[in-house]
Amino acid sequence: MRSNSFFKRLALGLACAAGLAGFAGGAFAQGATTRIGFQAGLTGPAAADGNAGLAAARLAVEQINGAGGVNGKKLELVVYDDQGKPEQAVPIANRMVGDGVRAVVSAGFSGPSRAAAPVFQRAKIPYIAAIAFAPEITRTGNYMFRVTSVGEVQGRAAAKLMGDVLHKKRAVLLTIKTDFGKTLAAGFKEAAPKFGVQLLKEYEYAPSDRQFGPLIASIKADNPDVIYATGFYFTAGPLVAQLRSAGVTADVVGAESLSSQQYIDIAGQAAEGTVITNVIDWGSQLPEIADFLKAYEKATNSKAEAAATSTHAAVVALAAAIRKAKSDDPDKIRAALETLDVTTAIGRISFNKLHEVKKNFPLSIVRNGKWERFGVIDDPALLAPPEQ
Amino acid sequence: MGAYETSILTLVAINVILALSLNLISGLCGQVSLGHAAFFGVGAYATALLAKAGANLWLTLPAALLLAGVCGLVVGFCSLRVRDDFLAIATMAAGFLFLGVVRTSDALGGELGISQIPESGLEGFYPYFVVLCAVAAGVFCTWVKKSWLGYAFEAVSADETAARSLGIDTPRFKLAAFALGTGLAGVAGCLYAYYLGTVGVEAFGFPVSVMILAMVVIGGMGSIWGSVLAAALLTLAPEWFRFINDYKLLVFGLLLFVMMRFVPGGLFPLVLRQARRLRGEAAR
Amino acid sequence: MSLFLNLASQGLINGAVYALIAIGLAMVFGLLRILHIAHAGLFALGGYLGLVVTNATGSFALGLAVSMAVVAACGVLMYRLCYEPILEQPPYVPLIASVGMFLAIEELLRLVFGDHGLSYHVPPLAGAIDLGGMRIKYAEIAVVVMACVLLGGLALFATRTRIGMAWRATVSEPRMAASCGVSLRQVRHLNFAIGSAFAAAAGVMVGVLNNLVEPSMGAVPSYKALAIIVLGGLGNMGGTLVAALLLGLVEAFGATYLSNYLDRDSIAFAAMLCVLLVRPEGLFSGTKGSTGLLARKLQLKGAAKWVLTKRPS
Repeated sequence: MRSNSFFKRLALGLACAAGLAGFAGGAFAQGATTRIGFQAGLTGPAAADGNAGLAAARLAVEQINGAGGVNGKKLELVVYDDQGKPEQAVPIANRMVGDGVRAVVSAGFSGPSRAAAPVFQRAKIPYIAAIAFAPEITRTGNYMFRVTSVGEVQGRAAAKLMGDVLHKKRAVLLTIKTDFGKTLAAGFKEAAPKFGVQLLKEYEYAPSDRQFGPLIASIKADNPDVIYATGFYFTAGPLVAQLRSAGVTADVVGAESLSSQQYIDIAGQAAEGTVITNVIDWGSQLPEIADFLKAYEKATNSKAEAAATSTHAAVVALAAAIRKAKSDDPDKIRAALETLDVTTAIGRISFNKLHEVKKNFPLSIVRNGKWERFGVIDDPALLAPPEQ
Repeated sequence: MGAYETSILTLVAINVILALSLNLISGLCGQVSLGHAAFFGVGAYATALLAKAGANLWLTLPAALLLAGVCGLVVGFCSLRVRDDFLAIATMAAGFLFLGVVRTSDALGGELGISQIPESGLEGFYPYFVVLCAVAAGVFCTWVKKSWLGYAFEAVSADETAARSLGIDTPRFKLAAFALGTGLAGVAGCLYAYYLGTVGVEAFGFPVSVMILAMVVIGGMGSIWGSVLAAALLTLAPEWFRFINDYKLLVFGLLLFVMMRFVPGGLFPLVLRQARRLRGEAAR
Repeated sequence: MSLFLNLASQGLINGAVYALIAIGLAMVFGLLRILHIAHAGLFALGGYLGLVVTNATGSFALGLAVSMAVVAACGVLMYRLCYEPILEQPPYVPLIASVGMFLAIEELLRLVFGDHGLSYHVPPLAGAIDLGGMRIKYAEIAVVVMACVLLGGLALFATRTRIGMAWRATVSEPRMAASCGVSLRQVRHLNFAIGSAFAAAAGVMVGVLNNLVEPSMGAVPSYKALAIIVLGGLGNMGGTLVAALLLGLVEAFGATYLSNYLDRDSIAFAAMLCVLLVRPEGLFSGTKGSTGLLARKLQLKGAAKWVLTKRPS
């Protein structure tokens, strides 16, 4: 009996030691691959976007490696899950640095991304945020980049869409109470007067809301001719369905967060006619875009949406920068990114002084249950991202 | 120790302080609180605001402690009016109210939270400072437990009516437990704010309160070492479970259920029992 | 005026959904004094099952029936596997166990059905009707009708059938009931089965109203239902019903007029805290012997009085 429990304790002790040793991080030689870190929320609240981003990143790496890799070496994706929590992002960022990554792409939310950013800045490793909007990320330092437009820029684009393209005059703003929604609202409010759009009223709602009865009752009383519904497919979908069945006929304008097929599945007939400022240019003839859309649908059995497309673009841009730098030294990669001008799945992109992306906005509309091309907003002055 | 190990160590130490602080309230004094993360949040937000206004660590730490303790007193007063069953829900409500207020207040950062909090000033020593604080918290809690204060807490926890008939002023001790526990949680919040550099509402919600309570319960209500052990385990578990990443949360949920089903008294009393049994055998 | 009516009707509809969820929770608490947070997991499971079966077979009635039956069985299973063995433990033990199960159910739903959630291929109960200047969807009317039918059925069952009487007896005085020959286990099984079936019905209806079921759809109801049963007097059926409707109304008006001061979810808790500070036992409870505030005001008699005021000992 005694020897039995002795071995049990020994086994337990060894197991603990083994577990602790598993921490000792990996230091290993830079070998035949270029390691790219990938951070996203693969479990938890950010899981939908995180997993879409991961699929797109894996697709990009596969495509690039299939064409011979970069500078003669294949790319290797080192994936870590931040669970959507900022405090998890810091340890995994440290882990990635220890793993010898040359650069990092993040398909994580703003919270975890801005927590991880200082770690990479200190380690002097380029960090490209694909979907995180927090302004602090790029302000953290010169190794930070972002391939998605910040909220204010998207809001301004929406104002121009309403005024110049759709010729609407009376708008109601439905702001989702997240950093994304609030920055969109700020940009929209700033630009609306310039395009002759009058803001009747702004309503706010929480991300967990799915029933908008009271809101819709008030909107009906306001009688707008266009509604700017910031939000995601799981809020805007039910919202638009309820709007239409309550008899509100105003046009609905949204942002890239509605870009998934899911939005149309939820709202059904009510989604017809929704116009959004997107990153995906459906129906584009450019091979970078068309090939990605086809390949993504084939690989994942679902249509591409904004998070996946932006992540794919981030990886492609990174590969282009490494190719341009002719080296995988992080500092040279950073320099190459600064002057990069490349066509990706989100179109032609380049970065400004603050490393925010400069690009135009394709517009998409729902017709016959699918997203289709509606046009493009290309106004560099209006769409200029912030410089500091 | 690499940067990864020290960042994990800091996180473990912060969670240990949180578990110890709730242990004072719920474990020792028996007042089950489901809103503890709110006091964690009070400390964190207070530190964030003060640090950005220029205060340094030696000012923000006591400020966080005091502010969280005062909030705890307020909630404690309210809790005096309600019974056992309601206390858990009332504290949960307090937690939601805190979040609700923060979310709608732009001064407190609203949905975006507060970021770019200045460094603590301790540079590389900071993780070790946090560990020191955790050790100090453990020593403090042990002292409380062994003192007459702890005795009174345990009396209130065991049987409130009997305690009162013994002359123990139960309301005063309940308030003391709340104030001490929430103050300590405020300290954890301060350390968290410096560790992460940003604070946002997602870190102080109901799931976090539940997690802290789970740490105390799994460790063994009232047991100091139990709280430390459970806090370390539950913080490190996601790291160990990286290989089953997709199933992490599922395994965690099942683990909680299995622990409560088979070891409801907590891990540390179990370990103690086994140790005693082994020693008993060895003596023979 | 139209806005007022609109808000009121929206409030009642949401209240009906809350009532269906909260009643199950109240039933479990009344019988076992357990805060059954996993109840919200059953709500989400019910929503998914209803949708999946409807999409697969084309029949909404079948989807609803299967969902309620399966979730009722799951509820009973949950009681047998999880709660029965730990009934003697202090209350925080079943609480944490319940939270663990809730997490596990949520994650299972996410793993099996995907992160994005599912929608009905052909939304059931589509269409709306114009009533007094408002457009009300058939689905919304169905929710209210279903809540009335199910809850009315429960009240009838509790007061008119033998099993119902046995259940009431077990809630009030378990030991007396047991010594009168009532099988405590059977009553508890029944309790969980009925409560879980109601939660499933609520889940299916929410899925229809939003045309979306998501893995995390149980998160908000899990704690809101707790606030409701506290308001209703913790275990008091009728009180819970009224509290649920009241909360629906308060949220509808509060979301419109108070949104600058308080989150919508916090409104439930703010209301609850106000009530608790004024009246610690909840709105509808009455201590043994004396009748509660509302009971006196309404001059309730017999079964109605029991249903609306009885709080378990």
